[in-house]
Amino acid sequence: MKKQWFLAGAACLAILVSFAFVHARGVDETTVSAGEAESVEMAVALADDPSFDDPIEFPHNVHAGATDDGGYGIDCMYCHSSAERSSSAGIPPVASCMGCHSAVRADGSEEIERLTEFWDAREPIPWNRVYKVADHVQFPHMRHVSAGVDCAMCHGNVEEMGVIEQVQQPLTMGWCLDCHMEMSASRDCTVCHY
Amino acid sequence: MSDGMKRRDFLKVLGVTGAGAGLVGCSTDNVEKLMPYVTAPEDITPGVATWYASACGECPAGCGVWVKTQEGRAIKVEGNPNHPVSGGALCARGHSGLQALYNPDRLESPMRRNGDGHEAISWEEAEEMLASGLRDAGSGTAFLTGRTGPTLSVLMDELVGELGGRRVEYEALSEAPLREASRIAFGRDEIPAFDLESADLILSFGADFLETWLSPVEHNRGFARSTGVQADGSKARFVFLGARLSLTGMNADDWYPVRPGSEGVVALALAGALVDRGGDAGPYASLVQEYDLSAAAEAADVPVSSLETLVDLLDEAESPLILGPGVAGQHRNATAANLAALVLNAVSGAVGTTLHFDRAMTGAASSSYGDLATLISDMEGGAVSALVVRGTNPAFSLPSGSGFREAMENVGFSVALATQMDETAVLADLVLPEGHYLESWGDSNPRPGVWAVQQPVMQPVPHFDSRGTGDILLSLARNLGVETDAETFHDYLRNRWSDRHSEAGQPGGGFEAFWRQVLREGLAQFPADAVGEVELQSPDRALSFDLPEMDGEDDGLNLIVYPSSRLGDGRGANRPWLQELPDPVSKIAWHSWVEVHPDTAAEMGIRKGDIVRLETPHGEVQAPVWTYGGVRRDTVAIAMGSGHENYGRYADGKGVNAMRLLPAVEEAVSGALVHLVTRVQIEPTGRHRRLATIEGSDQTRDRAIVPAVQVDDLRAGDLGDHEPRPRTELRGGGGFIPVPSDAEPESFPHEGSRYGDYDPAENRRWAMAIDLDKCTGCSACITACQSENNVANVGEDQLLMGRDLHWIRMERYVETLDAEEPGPVDIRFLPMICQHCGNAPCEPVCPVYAAYHTPDGLNGQIYNRCVGTRYCANNCPYKVRVFNWFGFSDVPEPLNWQYNPDVTVRAEGVMEKCSFCVQRIRTVENRASTEGRDVRDGEVVPACQQSCPAEAIVFGDARDPESRLSQVSRDGRTYRVMDHLINTQPAVNYLRKVTFHPVTDIHV
Repeated sequence: MKKQWFLAGAACLAILVSFAFVHARGVDETTVSAGEAESVEMAVALADDPSFDDPIEFPHNVHAGATDDGGYGIDCMYCHSSAERSSSAGIPPVASCMGCHSAVRADGSEEIERLTEFWDAREPIPWNRVYKVADHVQFPHMRHVSAGVDCAMCHGNVEEMGVIEQVQQPLTMGWCLDCHMEMSASRDCTVCHY
Repeated sequence: MSDGMKRRDFLKVLGVTGAGAGLVGCSTDNVEKLMPYVTAPEDITPGVATWYASACGECPAGCGVWVKTQEGRAIKVEGNPNHPVSGGALCARGHSGLQALYNPDRLESPMRRNGDGHEAISWEEAEEMLASGLRDAGSGTAFLTGRTGPTLSVLMDELVGELGGRRVEYEALSEAPLREASRIAFGRDEIPAFDLESADLILSFGADFLETWLSPVEHNRGFARSTGVQADGSKARFVFLGARLSLTGMNADDWYPVRPGSEGVVALALAGALVDRGGDAGPYASLVQEYDLSAAAEAADVPVSSLETLVDLLDEAESPLILGPGVAGQHRNATAANLAALVLNAVSGAVGTTLHFDRAMTGAASSSYGDLATLISDMEGGAVSALVVRGTNPAFSLPSGSGFREAMENVGFSVALATQMDETAVLADLVLPEGHYLESWGDSNPRPGVWAVQQPVMQPVPHFDSRGTGDILLSLARNLGVETDAETFHDYLRNRWSDRHSEAGQPGGGFEAFWRQVLREGLAQFPADAVGEVELQSPDRALSFDLPEMDGEDDGLNLIVYPSSRLGDGRGANRPWLQELPDPVSKIAWHSWVEVHPDTAAEMGIRKGDIVRLETPHGEVQAPVWTYGGVRRDTVAIAMGSGHENYGRYADGKGVNAMRLLPAVEEAVSGALVHLVTRVQIEPTGRHRRLATIEGSDQTRDRAIVPAVQVDDLRAGDLGDHEPRPRTELRGGGGFIPVPSDAEPESFPHEGSRYGDYDPAENRRWAMAIDLDKCTGCSACITACQSENNVANVGEDQLLMGRDLHWIRMERYVETLDAEEPGPVDIRFLPMICQHCGNAPCEPVCPVYAAYHTPDGLNGQIYNRCVGTRYCANNCPYKVRVFNWFGFSDVPEPLNWQYNPDVTVRAEGVMEKCSFCVQRIRTVENRASTEGRDVRDGEVVPACQQSCPAEAIVFGDARDPESRLSQVSRDGRTYRVMDHLINTQPAVNYLRKVTFHPVTDIHV
């Protein structure tokens, strides 16, 4: 169900934009994932268990890892670019992957082959969701980015992870508040809950 | 359980079992997926809304809209501030367009008649069937359409022309008599614009211009600007003449309960009296002299002295404006009545001042029922072999006597283009699911030179295999071998716009740049033909201005069948937002009611809620009585739009169809269907029902809920006794702490108060001001709030138990109302929302701190904390907290698509209430923070303020003395509801209504 509508949504946007011009009011809306409104009661398991395989094994350590360690040192914002503008950090479109991988093709890499298959079929890659806050929580990424919070503070050392996983972050309210108190950020309920 | 297991142990076991169940459910299939775009659309940032300009398709007024979409779904409709009609606001029906887009009863595929029902077929089959059916019918083809956009009309007419057939337009709410009267009076075959904003005296002979008449949003704005008191104490006066006070009438300063049908005589007599005082009636001078005030008073059943008062008012007014009878008052002499009103406009100098032809309402509906009646008789006679119906539902909206249903059965091949089944489509051989206006191309031309594009704001909702009407017609054209210059309706529309752009001399450069600009702005202004001086012309046909003939026994009551301000002619009936919106007049939702004067009801031994049988020579219906002092004793009134049989789950069986009481009679001159045409007999059935109303009482009983001030006192600076009085403490056995204060919102919090003790220097206090002299009670804010805040509907049964979930309650109090004599009418509206009290009684009683005070002055409600004790609601003196008893947010797919992802969808067992649109506040704060600046005054606009056509609401920071909110609130009229009694220190400042008549001074 979820996949269906998201596919439809993605397709519809792509087409819509090709013929309609947008009257955007600038970056002015916060939101949670688009599915939230409908899936309040949907039982959701999160892929914090690495045994849940992603459709493509995406090694964050290769892409974001330090160049000294054999990584490419790509900045987080290169792919998750809306994190500084939007509530949602965003998952890069397949086209972004192909931006590099149409040229960068490690010989015989099955993963890049799979990526190319998705691209050729013009299908989105169904990544497993690793991080999710509850539906009644509003988490504005851009506020945290603009306050200088490093991505790693919540997401751990992603640049060292072969398979992304939640590390030491219970994503509980207490955990959020510990940091908010330390940083003298607001502790008002309606900052996150409305 | 007491000895075997303790409660806590039981809960522990339950917890473990719950966790186990959770583990069992844990498999890779259940992992939530993140689906990226394949190629990201350039102008979309995930999580950030994208807005598209389009045009509202709910009524012919043609408001321009902005539609908020997120991740490809439309989630809110707002007025386009650049558009001259909507001016940024919208009405309840406009907002509810979303519920038509996502309506679960929409057609899923084309359907073909199969026996008594319909079966689904493919589009290929359907198009083949359509083309061959119309090809065979040829010149026997007839298109029957509602008001259609200009470009779609061109295409339709082109097609009909090729077939040799004809097209008939029919709208149930038509101003044909006004248009014909305008042609007779001024030689202009069009509907003029009524500039309420520039008027200082408004006379309405029954036109419900704030509800359904011509252009309600625009009229609300103009009306509030002129009748809302100005800084210098000036204020336009509004006199309503009619047998029934509509919502519009409730906003009047004076009510003349004239006999229904007497408008023409009264208007001419007033014009005659003005001519005596030097007015110029041109070729009508001798006509108006035939009507004197005493005869008119006799006809209208009002004292002659009251009409003399009116003459004085008209004589003194600098820019008066007179509005005609409107749809509910269309009787057998309706054109004459409209003509009389136009003559009165001319005599009193309104033409060119407040009545304009250069802004004529080119989009307004003025179709004639006469044309449809001819079509129906041709259908009966077999002269029509194929019928295509689109955008109108005559099987529902016409009186039974029209014979439309039978005639449609007699047509060999009938086709309906509709978004969902309705009473007409269900009779058709072929039903084609057409796209909703938010997912198809179109345009509108509401004023000369003003053109708006109706742009699809999203791809068609995937649950329904619909196609845009224009595209269906173009495909038909191809199948019929008719040449057009476009493959898609989008191209067709662009071509017509390109032509128009060239004709206008290519404003804005090349067409591509121009078109892009149009799509961004939503509209284009082309030069319009200048209208020279408009003068009265000699009438070219004879008209009778006398009281119209009425059917039925002489001892019956006059029957008024009026358009519903919520459901219109009935097309809004399958939307829960509109069905559950309490009617602004009666406060009843979901079902029909008959308005009967209390004295008339008492004479008949009828009480409120008694179900009566209404019988006219043309039909009968049964409905409960709502006793209403705003209707004449010899008249009863009932709304159109309810009583559907085949219109979907929210409409069917709700209320009765009042059109069943009327004959299918056209007015001889304009061809309009007459509404005020028959008397009715009322008989109790002996049955009774509870009315589904949100109203507790219509009396304030001298409590300071909606105080008013007389305009003379206001001008003299006499605002009554407003010295702070000693406070009454509520404390007793606990509760919030009343503290001594001067009760100013900006002085919050007070030393010694336990709650919300935040530093004023560091924090804002969000507050609102609502000008009750501007608020017209139209209730657009309620639907806007529902749309913005995911406010659920509960249905009729739950509403009867008082479980409605609206965050705004439009309270309506009757102060002065007399249907016997002309005189002042004083009905006060008060939009009651959470007052965000500085000293809130709800907060200390919450055992889990779900209700608490935020540093910025909001009365927070944290849904995930709430355990549903409902103590807060019990302790709220304003009764603005509502409780979700049964998971009302679970709605059928895809109605849930309209939910705003920025706002939590509240679950069962949770208390909720107005949040001052906290999500909008946080959005603005987030934006300001990322841009490294402060929030600007006026940047946060709650949904109610955004939508208010009367511009009555201002929101802002009460601690900033320069904010517009502070400036507006520094007015002698400002008060806070019951604050002086219970020291709640609300953040909502109401500005008192201003009246022309003396009012009781109530301490506030």
